[in-house]
Amino acid sequence: MDILGNLVLGFSVAVTPIHLLYALIGVLLGTLIGVLPGVGPVATIAMLLPITFKLSPVAALIMLAGIYYGAQYGGSTTAILVNLPGESSSVVTCLDGYQMARRGRAGPALAVAALGSFFAGCVATLIIATAAPPLAELALKFGPWEYFSLMVLGLIAATVLAHGSLIKAIAMVVLGLLLGLVGTDVNSGVLRFTFDIPELADGFGFAVVAMGMFGIAEIITNLELKDKREVFTSKVTHLYPTKEDFKRSWGAVLRGTALGSFLGILPGGGALLSSFASYTLEKKVSSHPEEFGKGAIEGVAGPESANNAGAQTSFIPMLTLGIPGNAVMALMIGALMIQGIAPGPQVMNDKPELFWGLIASMWVGNLMLVILNLPLIGMWIKLLTVPYRYLYPSILVFMAIGVYSLSNNPFDVLVMALFGLLGYICVKLDCEPAPMILGFILGPLMEEHLRRAMLLARGDATMFLTKPISAGFLIAAVLLLLMVALPAIRKKREEAFQEAD
Amino acid sequence: MRIKSPKDFWAGLMFIAFGLAAMIIALMNYQFGTSVRMGPGYFPAVLGGLMVFLGTVITATSLAIEGPKVPRLNFRPLLLVLTACVAYGYLIKPAGLVVATIALVFVSALGGHEFKWKEVSVLALLLIVFSVVVFVKGLTLPFPLWPEVFE
Amino acid sequence: MKRLAVLLAFALAVPAALAQAWPSKPIRLVVPYPPGGPVDISARLLAPKLQESLGQPVLVENKPGAGGNIGADHVAKSGPDGYALLMGAIATHAINPTLYPKIPYDAINDFRHVALVVQVPNVLVVGNAVPAKSVAELVALARAQPGKLDFASGSTGSTGHLAGELFKQMTGTYMVHIPYKGAAPAVADLIGGRVDLIFDNLASALPNIKSGKVRALAVTTKRRSGFLPELPTLDEAGLKGFDLTTWWGVMAPAKTPPPIIDRLALEIAKAMESPEVKDRLRAMGSDAPAVRTPEQFTAFVANELKVYAELVKRSGATVE
Repeated sequence: MDILGNLVLGFSVAVTPIHLLYALIGVLLGTLIGVLPGVGPVATIAMLLPITFKLSPVAALIMLAGIYYGAQYGGSTTAILVNLPGESSSVVTCLDGYQMARRGRAGPALAVAALGSFFAGCVATLIIATAAPPLAELALKFGPWEYFSLMVLGLIAATVLAHGSLIKAIAMVVLGLLLGLVGTDVNSGVLRFTFDIPELADGFGFAVVAMGMFGIAEIITNLELKDKREVFTSKVTHLYPTKEDFKRSWGAVLRGTALGSFLGILPGGGALLSSFASYTLEKKVSSHPEEFGKGAIEGVAGPESANNAGAQTSFIPMLTLGIPGNAVMALMIGALMIQGIAPGPQVMNDKPELFWGLIASMWVGNLMLVILNLPLIGMWIKLLTVPYRYLYPSILVFMAIGVYSLSNNPFDVLVMALFGLLGYICVKLDCEPAPMILGFILGPLMEEHLRRAMLLARGDATMFLTKPISAGFLIAAVLLLLMVALPAIRKKREEAFQEAD
Repeated sequence: MRIKSPKDFWAGLMFIAFGLAAMIIALMNYQFGTSVRMGPGYFPAVLGGLMVFLGTVITATSLAIEGPKVPRLNFRPLLLVLTACVAYGYLIKPAGLVVATIALVFVSALGGHEFKWKEVSVLALLLIVFSVVVFVKGLTLPFPLWPEVFE
Repeated sequence: MKRLAVLLAFALAVPAALAQAWPSKPIRLVVPYPPGGPVDISARLLAPKLQESLGQPVLVENKPGAGGNIGADHVAKSGPDGYALLMGAIATHAINPTLYPKIPYDAINDFRHVALVVQVPNVLVVGNAVPAKSVAELVALARAQPGKLDFASGSTGSTGHLAGELFKQMTGTYMVHIPYKGAAPAVADLIGGRVDLIFDNLASALPNIKSGKVRALAVTTKRRSGFLPELPTLDEAGLKGFDLTTWWGVMAPAKTPPPIIDRLALEIAKAMESPEVKDRLRAMGSDAPAVRTPEQFTAFVANELKVYAELVKRSGATVE
């Protein structure tokens, strides 16, 4: 088999001491910046770029890739421990991971996140090794119609993220969509809702919104509690997952891996959906959906696996077509280009040691991350025993530095505070922020794809239904809507009847 | 008429306000276009309308179905935490990381349940050392440490 | 009176002394875009070399926003002491002044243009489903079916968009402009056959041209590119005078003392001659720019500003 030979070649490259060292540096650094909110992989990789010039292309790419998926692992840690999503992928992890942490189950949450991610990483690596070119071809079948319909499906799924009122969840999605529109309109270049503030021309930054809505709002709500009760229970029952935890998680990990691997291939915003999609799926297939949002371990296991699988398979369009699916991939292309290598279909043939070495190193890096993360859990748990009056000013310092460093502009910190206020109001009114965040991410994409689709089809809206992939997504969206709406309506009617009695 | 579910009532009003604002701004300032060539106002106006509708439904239901009360608001942590963050952002360039961190830690600590000078000072010191080592030295972020006049 | 004289002498001496001691503290090189783009990467290529020769840290600082205007404005209003520099680009100094109705700085008078660092041609690329094999055939195709062809671009008001508008105008054809958020998704749709052509940056288009996923028809510069020497220019293909490039370079606030500007220009020129920087800039698709002195750079920017003012107005693109 050819693939076996290639993998052998890859591993012979990846396990040389020097490459192992760079993979280790990469994942360590990635974990560090992942844990620190705001400082993301994009800024870090950009800063390290000059250093990579002195390395061989393989070593450089291995290190940068290590930072990328290291940051994914690290990001879930902050989400679980202190409810801070620094990246769009970890928003979902906050929902149940943080609730688990508050109940003294941070250990199992962190362990399941790491193990699920590792499993997903292994599978995704295999997928890249065996099927990268045909999958890239599949990704190319996705045009604006397919993406738009996928986004519609994603938005319907967003309402499942909330565990409270359905109609409020929908309203929050729409609020997110509107907030996502702030900034320069892609089609006309018109500045919308910017109120002549130049900083708003590029819209609100994701990290700024998410950290305000989740992190700051959470801190304020905690400080309000009248008694000095600690936020985290000091009674930690298990450091590692129990048999029951594993039993509940493995299905979620499998489904999450499958979803994430597929969505990660799509460069037009698919990867963003993976963790959200997985959460929705888990909540819908679960026999106890009422536990979601209150610390259900499946709500951590599924999305974390999905997000790591997606992070890995998003290398496919970059490696096979030279098309970056996200900012990190664009940077890697930049890094390769200044090494004199133009990423694209020919890399696999011209530089097999680079292509297969990178793939093998992904697996090695994931292994390192699991080995690194499992013992760290003990340390993280200790962190939660720090009294909250020390913990929250520290969290605020890290958030402020991180957000300021995004564009070295105090304006971002101001906006974060404003979203903190909005988040606080939403908490008080039982409006959950997660659906809003998904709306915020998808809003601009959805509009962009819709308008491009209409422009390309010269106004023929039927193309959404005549294109098979697009039609499939829309049908799935309608089914999901029915599944979501029917129980909610029935419940509302029961409530209303009880009122009348 | 009685508000049976205050949380939903206010939430609904909030959505109506956001939706109306979006719709009015969009319709007044941005081209609406046609469905073929959607203008920049099309999407926000439609979404704003949808939001007004949803808000109205939520508010209307809140008059019919009993629900939880809005909990009492406590403005002290809210104001102090938000002020602390904003102060940090506006202090870091002119006054440097040290001053900005001290300001953030002290102001936010005032928002907590207890405030002990000694504890907070030690915490601020630790956070300054950590920030300098990790962010300024380690990640080489371009932050000044001290106020500009001393540079 | 004596005191006044001393004060006057002091005031006169300060700029000279400042220049002599320069640099005595870290220099900030502001990139008006988020980290990771080509402008950012080339700034980070240059910074360590300058740091070596100037003996002070050169820190790259990203100040993105409003198409680069925020970072450019920040440097324009910074102290003219040689410690705040800008990686100014075609967007901030040639296109935006016309594209944006209100712009807080003057691209010519608020800056000293120190050194042009990168100049990359665009390439006219068509998808494989498009039958045209040459510029002439493409023009014929566009004339035969007006409004049928779609041309993609990385954003409204980008060089790719404006090149397309200029192409339409010079050939008297009508094609529909499809804007994207960045060139990458546009190229994906080009390979997927959903759009027909794009005027893409040479460096990013090269791999897919070489692998045959898309076809290059011409370069947008007057000179052929060293990377694809067999590819004709649009000028040769009949669009006389078609000459567009994407460029960026180091700039300083207008009142920066001339000795500092000269020193900087010298050190940047030296850095760009060093093999490691030179090879990497070349790998980004940049042939060595013909603009070499600060004066030439200012003249170059002034000319670009004029060209794009015309182009932006005629294309009808605007940011309101």
